[in-house]
Amino acid sequence: MSEVRFVNVSKEFEDDNKGKFTAVNDATFTIEDKEFMVFVGPSGCGKTTSLRMIAGLERQTSGDIYIGDRTVNKAHPKDRDIAMVFQDYALYPHMTIRENMSFGLKNLKRPKEEIEKKVSEAAQILSLENLLDRKPRELSGGQRQRVAVGRAIVRNPKVFLFDEPLSNLDAKLRVQMRMELSELHKRLGATIVYVTHDQVEAMTLGTRIVVMNQGEIQQIDTPEELYKNPKNMFVAGFIGSPPMNFVRGRLDGNIVQTVEHALVVPEDKLLKYAEYQGKEVVLGIRPEDVINIEHLPDAPAQNVIEPVIKIVEHLGSEFLVYFGIGEETIVGKISSDYHMEVFKKHQLYINMEKMTLFDPQTQMRIG
Amino acid sequence: MLASHHSSKMNKKRFTWENTVQFFKDYGWCYAFILVPVILFVLFTVYPLVMAFIYSFQKYSVLGSEWIGLDNYRSLMDSPVFWKAMKNTLIYTVATVPVNILITLFLALMIFPLNNKSQTFFKAAFYLPGVTSGITMSLIWLWIFDPTGAGLLNAVFDFLGLDSVMWLANPDTALFSLILMTYLGAHGAGILLYLAAMGGIPKSLYEAADIDSASWWSKLKNITWPLLKPTTLYLLVMGVIASFQVFEQAYVMTMGGPNLATTTVAYLIYEHAFLSFEFGLAAAESFVLGFIIIIISVIQFKFMSSDIEY
Repeated sequence: MSEVRFVNVSKEFEDDNKGKFTAVNDATFTIEDKEFMVFVGPSGCGKTTSLRMIAGLERQTSGDIYIGDRTVNKAHPKDRDIAMVFQDYALYPHMTIRENMSFGLKNLKRPKEEIEKKVSEAAQILSLENLLDRKPRELSGGQRQRVAVGRAIVRNPKVFLFDEPLSNLDAKLRVQMRMELSELHKRLGATIVYVTHDQVEAMTLGTRIVVMNQGEIQQIDTPEELYKNPKNMFVAGFIGSPPMNFVRGRLDGNIVQTVEHALVVPEDKLLKYAEYQGKEVVLGIRPEDVINIEHLPDAPAQNVIEPVIKIVEHLGSEFLVYFGIGEETIVGKISSDYHMEVFKKHQLYINMEKMTLFDPQTQMRIG
Repeated sequence: MLASHHSSKMNKKRFTWENTVQFFKDYGWCYAFILVPVILFVLFTVYPLVMAFIYSFQKYSVLGSEWIGLDNYRSLMDSPVFWKAMKNTLIYTVATVPVNILITLFLALMIFPLNNKSQTFFKAAFYLPGVTSGITMSLIWLWIFDPTGAGLLNAVFDFLGLDSVMWLANPDTALFSLILMTYLGAHGAGILLYLAAMGGIPKSLYEAADIDSASWWSKLKNITWPLLKPTTLYLLVMGVIASFQVFEQAYVMTMGGPNLATTTVAYLIYEHAFLSFEFGLAAAESFVLGFIIIIISVIQFKFMSSDIEY
C-alpha cells in the first residue's frame, strides 16, 4: 500500500518582510494507492508546499502525514520511500547521466550489478540508452526531463512526486511529455503526486485533482466532476479554458433576471434553488453553452439573446466571441461553421440546461 | 571586444586611408583611454622585466655590465644554497597551500549554513586580519614564538609541562614555525570566495541529494566539492604562486636562518640583489623561479580544470 494521507496539516512560514504567512491551512485528504493525483492552483496557493511536505523537504507546522500505513511527520526525505522530479530537474551538472541516475542507489550501498541493471532498465523505458555517458548540459530540455524521471524510476519508490516538471519545456514538447508521463503511470502502476499551475495539464493527467487557492483546498474530485460540478466560483473559474462566465442577477420564479435579459431556468432545477427565490445570485455559464442559433435544428423559443459581438478570435474549428452583459464581458466558444462578424448583432442561445448558480456572498454553488 | 571585432572586420576590408580615418573616428577615444594604463604597464612592468632578463646574462655593475652568457644560470645550478632555498620553498608550498585550502573550506562550510547576520559577522571577523600589514602580523608572531617563557607558545608548553622550544632559532623547527603561521593566518579572502561559490550551487541539488539518501559526507564529496572545483583551482594556483614568492615572513622573523633553514628562493633573490649587489645572479634566480611557477600553474590548470554549467 502506498497511499498518502494528510490529516489537518498546516504549514506556516515566518518571513522577515511578510510576517507570518499560512501556506497550507488545515489540509485533510487521502491520495489512494496507484492514483495520479494532481495539485493545481495559481502560484502561491500552497500546492508546491504540500508536495514538499510529502517529500519531507518542508516540515508541517501541525497535523499528521502518512505514507503507506506509517506516519512520516519527522522522517528524513530519504526514509520516506519517495522520489521527486524537480521543476529545474536538479540534475547534478558534473555527473554523467548514468552517475546521475545511480547516485541514489550508490548512497544506499546497493550492489553494483543491481545498480547497473536498474539504470539500464530505466534508460530503456525512457529511451536514454545512448545518452548515459553524456553530461546534463549536452542534453536538450526534454532529455533532461527524462533523466530526472529516470532518476526517480531507478529508486523504485512507493510514491513519485513531480513539481511542475513540464513548465520549462516548449508547448509542443509539453504535450508529448504529458502523454509519456500518462503512459509511464500506467506502466509503473505507481502512486504519483503531481503539481502544476496549468489546468490543462491537470485535467489531462490526473485521476483526481486537488484545486487549491490561498492555502485552502477548494475541491478534490475527478476532472469530469470538477468541470461539471464545481463546488464554488473559484473552481468554476479556474478549471476550463476559457473559464466559466459569471453574470450577476436575481432569481424570480423560474427566471434569472440579469441587467439585460430574463433567462428561463429549467423546471427540474428549480427545486434546489427554492431557498434563493427573490435573492441575488451569480449565474455561471460555460463558454461552450453559448450557441449560435444557426447551429440549432429548431429555433429555441427562449433564452435567446442578441448582443453586439465585440471581439472574434479564430481558433480554427472554433471562434471565441466576446460580448457584454451589463458590465461583464462574456465569452462564447462557438463552432466556426457559420461566419460571425465583429460589431454586429448575432442571435445566441444560452443553454440553461447546463447552468450553475452561485451564492454571491459565499461564492459557493447553490444546490 | 567591440574594437577587436571591428578591427578584424577592417582587416578583411582594403586598408585604405578612408578606412583608417573612420576607424580612429569610431574607436580613437577607446585607444586614448587604454593608452594610459598601457604606458604605465610598459614602464613599470614590461621594461623592468626585459631589463632583468638582460641582466641575467650579465655580471652587473653600475659602471658597466659585462656579458657572461649563461654563467649566472650555470652557477645557480651548481649552488647548494640555491637548491636548499628551492627545497625550502617547495616544502613550504606543499605544507601550506593544500592544508590552508582545506582549512578555508572547512571554515566556509561551517559559516555557510548560518543566518545572514552571523555570516556577515564571521566574514568580517575572518577577513579583517588580512587588512593588517604582514609586518605587524610577523611582529605578533615573533612574540608568540619567543624562545623564553614570555612567548605564548612556550608559556602554553610550560603549562602543559613540556620543555620550551627555540621555535625560530632551531633549524629543525624554524621552517615549521613559518608554516604554522599560515595555518592560523588570514583565510578571509578564501572564505569569501568559497561562500560566494557555495551560494551559487542550486539548493535543489541538495534537496535532490537528500531524497537520493545522500549523507552529509556524500553531499560534500559528490556535490559541494566537485562544484567548488573552479574556486579551489583558483585558490590553489594563487596560493602556489604566492607561496613560491614567500619573502616577508622569512625576512622579518628569521632573516633566512638559522643556517639557511628558512631561506626561500625569494629571500635568496633579495640577499643576492640587495645585500651582495649581484643583480645578474638575482635576475637569473628570478627567471628560474618565474619559469617554475608558470609550469606548475599550467599543470594545475590542466589537471584541475572543469567546465561546470548548471
